[in-house]
Amino acid sequence: MTDPDFQSAYHRHKEVIYRFACRMTGSAATAEDVTQECFLALWRNPRAYQPSRGALRAFLLGMVRKLILKRWRAERPHEPLEDESSICGPLDLVGEERAETVARAVRMLPPLQREAVILAEYEEMSLEEISSATGSELAAVKSRLHRGRHNLRRMLAPLLETEGTTYGTK
Amino acid sequence: MEPNDDPQLRKVLREWQVPDAPPSLDARVLGGRRSWLRFLLTGQIRVPVPVGLAVAAALIAMSMSLAREHGRPPAEPVRPVFNLKDFQPVAHIQVRVIRSQYAAE
Repeated sequence: MTDPDFQSAYHRHKEVIYRFACRMTGSAATAEDVTQECFLALWRNPRAYQPSRGALRAFLLGMVRKLILKRWRAERPHEPLEDESSICGPLDLVGEERAETVARAVRMLPPLQREAVILAEYEEMSLEEISSATGSELAAVKSRLHRGRHNLRRMLAPLLETEGTTYGTK
Repeated sequence: MEPNDDPQLRKVLREWQVPDAPPSLDARVLGGRRSWLRFLLTGQIRVPVPVGLAVAAALIAMSMSLAREHGRPPAEPVRPVFNLKDFQPVAHIQVRVIRSQYAAE
């Protein structure tokens, strides 16, 4: 990969990588760190990216995802990445901005549900693209997305009710 | 994209926006690429503590061993020891005189 190629790839994908990292980690500083690590890893080993295996965006998202999950595991070694039984209750909205509540709800999702929701809802990626970026089976992505949305509906029920729809919290 | 049959949820989720990548990221990524020569001159590598301790212990052991080698006085050359205990004189001495061919001249 030549220098202009790298710079072009960086400018084309830095925002999506940073946004994803920011939403996944909830920290601008951590997002900046992992985005830097991700692009420098590509610079050091450009052969790791095989165009025949998918788009560069999916490759970079997969790489930054690994870096984020590595940090997450180091911080919480005994917590599972995916808790199928996790059911989140409605959030208490007292004294909190709506956007802040949404951010908190997304961050409360188990990591694998969170990444599926972020990539689908915010980056508007297809199931196939998410599957390619996360290296997961299509069915697994679908299931995580379904559970993630279900959990979000429960957590954000108070906000959704004010929007005109009522959701059960059972 | 996976069809989301809940536009209300989507609308609420979109209320959370994150900032764009900061300008400092450009400097960190584009300025963070270094040539091998520059890396050799200014680079740093992380070494796990056990590996670092093992390398340090090996270096200390090697330097102590070398210092001992240098501090030791040079070994004296081995002198042959003569022992005449088993010496047996020959029983009959046969003396043979060999004259030089020039002796008669």
